[in-house]
Amino acid sequence: MREYEIIGKSLPRVDGIEKVTGQAKFTVDMAMLGMLHGKFLRSAYPHARILSINVEKAKRLSGVKAVITRDDVAGIRYAFVDTPRYPADETPLAVDKVRYIGDEVAAVAAIDLDTAEEAIRLIEVDYKPLTPVFDPEEAMKTGAPDVHEPFELGAKTEWEDWGVRRDKRALDWRDAKNLSGRTSVAFGDVEKGFAQSDYVREDRFETKATAHCALEPHAALASFEPSGKLNMYLSSMGIFYKRFILAKTLGLPISQVRILKTYVGGAFGGKIDLFPYEFCAAFLSRLTGKPVRFEMEREEVFTCTRQRHPTIVHIKTGVKRDGTILAQKIKFIADNGAYRGSGAIVVYLGHAFSIPVYSVPNYHYEGYSVYTNNPIRGPQRAHGSPQIRFAVDSQIEMIAEELGLDPLEIMLKNARKKDDILPNGDVLKSCGLSECLQKAAQTSGWKKWRGDRVKRTQERESASRYKRGLGMSSCSMFSGAPFYPFASSALVKLHDDGSVTLFTGATEMGQGSDTTMAQVAAQELGLQLEDVRVVSGDTELCPIDHGQFLSGGAFVTGNAVRLAAADAKSQLLKLAVEVLGVDEPDLETKKKRFYVRGNSDKSVSYAELIQLSVQRNNGDPIIGKGNMKAVQEAEFYPSLAKTKGHFTDAYGFAVQVAEVEVDTQTGLVKVLKTVTYHDCGFPLNLSIVEGQVHGNVSMGLGQALWEEILLEGGQIQNPTFLDYRAPLATETPKMISEMVETRDPGGPYGAKEVGEGSISGILAAVANAVYDAIGIRFTRLPITPEKVLEALWKK
Amino acid sequence: MKRTIKLHVNGEEFEVLTEENKTLLEVLREDLGLTGTKRGCDLGACGACTVLIDGGPHLSCLTLAAAVQGKKIMTIEGLAQEGELHSIQKAFVEKGAIQCGFCTPGMILTAKAFLDEHSHPSEREVKKAISGNLCRCTGYVKIVEAIISVTKNS
Repeated sequence: MREYEIIGKSLPRVDGIEKVTGQAKFTVDMAMLGMLHGKFLRSAYPHARILSINVEKAKRLSGVKAVITRDDVAGIRYAFVDTPRYPADETPLAVDKVRYIGDEVAAVAAIDLDTAEEAIRLIEVDYKPLTPVFDPEEAMKTGAPDVHEPFELGAKTEWEDWGVRRDKRALDWRDAKNLSGRTSVAFGDVEKGFAQSDYVREDRFETKATAHCALEPHAALASFEPSGKLNMYLSSMGIFYKRFILAKTLGLPISQVRILKTYVGGAFGGKIDLFPYEFCAAFLSRLTGKPVRFEMEREEVFTCTRQRHPTIVHIKTGVKRDGTILAQKIKFIADNGAYRGSGAIVVYLGHAFSIPVYSVPNYHYEGYSVYTNNPIRGPQRAHGSPQIRFAVDSQIEMIAEELGLDPLEIMLKNARKKDDILPNGDVLKSCGLSECLQKAAQTSGWKKWRGDRVKRTQERESASRYKRGLGMSSCSMFSGAPFYPFASSALVKLHDDGSVTLFTGATEMGQGSDTTMAQVAAQELGLQLEDVRVVSGDTELCPIDHGQFLSGGAFVTGNAVRLAAADAKSQLLKLAVEVLGVDEPDLETKKKRFYVRGNSDKSVSYAELIQLSVQRNNGDPIIGKGNMKAVQEAEFYPSLAKTKGHFTDAYGFAVQVAEVEVDTQTGLVKVLKTVTYHDCGFPLNLSIVEGQVHGNVSMGLGQALWEEILLEGGQIQNPTFLDYRAPLATETPKMISEMVETRDPGGPYGAKEVGEGSISGILAAVANAVYDAIGIRFTRLPITPEKVLEALWKK
Repeated sequence: MKRTIKLHVNGEEFEVLTEENKTLLEVLREDLGLTGTKRGCDLGACGACTVLIDGGPHLSCLTLAAAVQGKKIMTIEGLAQEGELHSIQKAFVEKGAIQCGFCTPGMILTAKAFLDEHSHPSEREVKKAISGNLCRCTGYVKIVEAIISVTKNS
């Protein structure tokens, strides 16, 4: 397969030196003269009506510049999902009720944090506690308390702003209480499929809420120019989406809102929703005439930002004796928390991220996202995929066990292939799933390990203290989807000396977009990486960008950048052809010069061509422009309710194997090794792509073994890094991470997603490995030592 | 009540007017403008605020500024000398051990203090040494590779 000079190579990051010297500025590092500090008064009740709020004492405290409550922000509603069917249910500050512990009730801007904190203590709120509900299955029953009362559909929803018409019929869809989202999809005939199956089994799986744990806390710094223009520093992903929603809620024209670049200290999906602190920073800045900064304390980040949806998955699968899947029925319940967040999306993705993996002829999926008085759940890396893949592939192993088959054989038998058409019409123009399965099996020594079933059973039953096991799982992930702003655009500006500046709206949050996009531009223009400067992450200086929450960095933005560079190159070529008197195919580039093939004396530099262009073409300095829409044929995101409509142009695939050692005396599950084969199409920068896989695997292991937000009565018991067990360096297993290059025809140089794909296969891989080691099936994560010991003692 | 304290940071003397209860982290970031040292949790649980005090790694969020007068404090900004990166900084860049960069300053200083005392650590020892520095992006793999590579080259 073709190799390139720049693209694909493990070149050092362009922001590396800034970051190792502490020069890189994050939002939390930004300060402005006269800046005020913001703080929230938060609800201590999971569910209560607000009878009255008295801020007089707080307002009078010396150093307090403003105190705002529901009266100041009346009528403002917003949400990540805001459609006619799912209208925005969040307000910057609580209006009639508080719905979770931490819900924002009032906000203060003061000269320093100590004063702000004291002011918060002086605010008096009279609450009438209401009966809360914390269990999603309880919340769906008749008689459960209403977390939200129905409200009149008021102003235009975001979806309508983007062109979707309001359909009155869609409003009446609730078939249970407290539903915040509902997805239904079926094809074929599941009952017939089950009837024809040789073996049918039904299982229930449970996953818990987990935290993103981005090291940089959520923060925002807002200030206004005298003209009324808002400038914001945000630790955020998807700055164009944020700009849109800030403009809408603040009543400003979009062009009057600017988000400036800062590096983002990790996000993992946890920084895309509009947060009260972002809105209030801007609102308070406008009110006081001073810059206002909010920085969440770590406890607030754990409690009052977002978490991953805990899920309950009921899955019934029917197979033929040889392991061919005939029918599958899934009920996916997500505990949404107090506000919709991304609930309506995750119940769609529980289907959409799983359906590309195995071919299932008869299928029925029902998704429910449910309001409870728990903290708010939102997108977190792979959003729904870890939870559903945990259920599906744990069950595949259980089926394999019953039928005396190798789960690898079942996975291979049912794995989708290139050119498969998914139920929604998406075509798998590239699919390396089978190759990943075979290679993962080979590298992990799967067949040798699992081949001797008698030996495996003996080892499982033996009296030895440490027992080892191997488990496997596969997963899939999209590469961009039609959501505002629906496309990425890029500009490439040439300088006198032939080097370039690349303008891309993509936000560098660790995933390496500045570097990989520079590599794409350099490769296309025949430059070295040092010849490319990147201006990114600024809504004023850069053209629109798809955003970093839809896994479209490589596919959508990468294509836009490639096209922009190609545009610049074609303009240079036109002139080179004239100057050198040959045709385009006779030219090649090297070191910012065009050379005639086979005649190295005949050449012209980019610098000379640019000079010529300025002189000859009325001052044209040569600027390249490129754009790429995520999913050309689709105007909007697919139907969340019915799953109809194109979703993405390319899917990445990953297969993962985990090797564990269970200490039967302590219950500790030690991960010795993980093997990941990821079909990312083509790795734009191999080192960066490997880094993404490592981070994904680490987070996946956390989901499987260590991480859980412990909730009791809506109160988080472990909102600190001391009690919330994010993976430590000492828990890092040996990670083998290999890429399978299927070179997707639509991706730049064949590249597809890699930022989210390889977390989802780890959960079932670990659960299956634990089963292989000790013969105990865990259907509820995380697999803690307590759970292991309890199960071993029961045996 | 503010008082004047004298801090020795990155080879320079600074006089700062600040409250008794300010942490070293706050004074470094807000009074001295050295934002390379990060606040990740303010509880001493994540390691992002790590600085070197008399060569040893310390959590600056748990250190009172007034208590470290007269001691030699080094932040990430003081590691590179005369524009030349320290070998650990170079290794992090070369080995792809940086993603978002937020844990990087604390991680590098912890590594420096460790390598100053241990010239040929095992991978296991390196992992233990940095187990007080949380990283969510890298899974630690390339960070450990970078630190080990420094020992191989020395």
